[in-house]
Amino acid sequence: MDDFLELTVSAMASGCIYGLMALAYLIVLRPTSIINFAIGEWSATGAFVGVGMLSTLAWPRFEGPYILAIVAVVVVLGLLGWAVERLTVRPLIRRGAAVTSPILALLGVLVIFRESLTLIYGADPLPSPPPFGFKRIEIGAFAGASQQFFIIAVTLSLFALVWLFFERTVWGRAFEAVALNRRAAALMGINLGRVTALAFAGGAAVAGLAGLLMSPMTSAHYMMGLPLAIQGFTALVIGGVGRVEGALLGGLILAFVEQLGARYLPIPSGLTLAFPFALLILFLLLRPTGLIAPREAR
Amino acid sequence: MRALLWLASIIAASLLAFMLGGYATDVYRKMLVWIALALSYNFLFGVAGQIAFSQFAFAGVGAYGVVILAHKLGLPFGVALAGAIALCSLLAFIVAVPSTRLEGFYLALATLAFAQLFLVVVNEGGDLTGGTGGIAGYRLPDVFGYTLRGPWYTVVLVLLVALTLHILLRLERSSFGRACRAIKDNPAVAAAMGIDVRRTKVITFTLTSTLAGLAGAAYAYVDNVINPPVFGLDNIFLLLFMIIVGGMGRPAGAMLGAVLLYLAPFVLEPIVGHAYLVLFGVLVVLAILFQPKGLIGLIDRLVDRLGPEQRA
Repeated sequence: MDDFLELTVSAMASGCIYGLMALAYLIVLRPTSIINFAIGEWSATGAFVGVGMLSTLAWPRFEGPYILAIVAVVVVLGLLGWAVERLTVRPLIRRGAAVTSPILALLGVLVIFRESLTLIYGADPLPSPPPFGFKRIEIGAFAGASQQFFIIAVTLSLFALVWLFFERTVWGRAFEAVALNRRAAALMGINLGRVTALAFAGGAAVAGLAGLLMSPMTSAHYMMGLPLAIQGFTALVIGGVGRVEGALLGGLILAFVEQLGARYLPIPSGLTLAFPFALLILFLLLRPTGLIAPREAR
Repeated sequence: MRALLWLASIIAASLLAFMLGGYATDVYRKMLVWIALALSYNFLFGVAGQIAFSQFAFAGVGAYGVVILAHKLGLPFGVALAGAIALCSLLAFIVAVPSTRLEGFYLALATLAFAQLFLVVVNEGGDLTGGTGGIAGYRLPDVFGYTLRGPWYTVVLVLLVALTLHILLRLERSSFGRACRAIKDNPAVAAAMGIDVRRTKVITFTLTSTLAGLAGAAYAYVDNVINPPVFGLDNIFLLLFMIIVGGMGRPAGAMLGAVLLYLAPFVLEPIVGHAYLVLFGVLVVLAILFQPKGLIGLIDRLVDRLGPEQRA
């Protein structure tokens, strides 16, 4: 039972990371219908930017205030996302190119980001300090590393914020309006270009945060992006592409299936790597709308 | 006339095989495999508009299929090759039937999941697939009494490219090819014109994946080694980039893109190191933004511009 409870904490933490990745997809996908596969590399970039902020700014032994790393990641990734939208996506949308064109261009962006990371930071993994050290924390019957609880706390607050943004602010409603009907939204006076730019900036910031949160467990590594991109997308498909809550739910389901399967199913550990792919195929084929259906227009 | 041109090209490409040294032969052979893969991928992605990430997985099925059947199970080579190709077609068909229902990039992600599943299976296949180390130490047996070694195997690869090109050109110029293009432009209109959209998509996917399997089987005897990373995701991105840079939907563009992006690292790596990959990414973005028809479109324009002057 202890074993199971500890597994719960660790699965919750991974699920939160997957959920954040799914959220990053969703923020871009809803108003633009663009699946931005470069999000995985953006999370790796976030990890490197955060670690770089913590380790190179003259305070030895990673004693810098962690909030600075978080702010740096949100600002730098937000700017990068905005710049990518400006330089690659906007000209294509303006030209009226098919929706696959920006998706393919973003695959080029993916390679640019990944290879630039190896050029700047080298191919070796960069250790990332957890903000609360390597302590073990027990809350009631649940026990886990401090970083796992940190991930869960940050993710839940972030999801609450994003939910509030979409449900309660004018900007959030504008996003939703564009998602439901681009033309109608434009006719209502919503600035499509600004919504798209904001979507890319926001998606990049969320992805970057996910990378930073993840990095103490895996180190910042240039290869960390692609698995996160795939797991995040799987989470998105499981939860449904329509709703913010779906992203978190999908991430948690994926993580629990992965970890419970790896722990209790009598199969070689290598085969458990197949779980996200099998789940992704199953959901794409059997329930492409995901578990939580998108909200109808009101 | 056209037949003569084909014959001349095949002979020229084959003669080249006899003039190259050991290292250059290796480069040339792999380039030919890339061209074959680029041609079939171009039909799937450039002509039919299906973005799939499974091309290298099917090449892997072909490669692993023929090596396992011929060398692990000891079947006669002809049977092994036919078996591997049949397995490829069957798997491609099984993947195609449900996943061609998916639109746009969702097909890409379903096939990406399939490709990753293939890698997991190969990595975990134990003795049969050789795990992460792959399979080595086999040699191409005599085929119908012929020993295909050295340059003669390169000629086999030249014929593979010619066969792939021939099949795809015939297909593209047929009503089937026009149906593919119609579906790419607008599936709803294509269906309204009486084209069976699902059937066309399934056939295209199955056929091009089978051709990829054939190229994979041929690749298995280039180095006489196969291992999982070759059939991984990095290469499918490169293949996609070759088509985009060369020119989507044009066989000549696909061949041009394959040759350029395959050979570029040999020139660029000594100068800029791994930064050439950044360059590839930039090239792809620039191509999509400013030259959606790729390099072949650029060449077309140049030829058009030169044309009138020649006539004058």
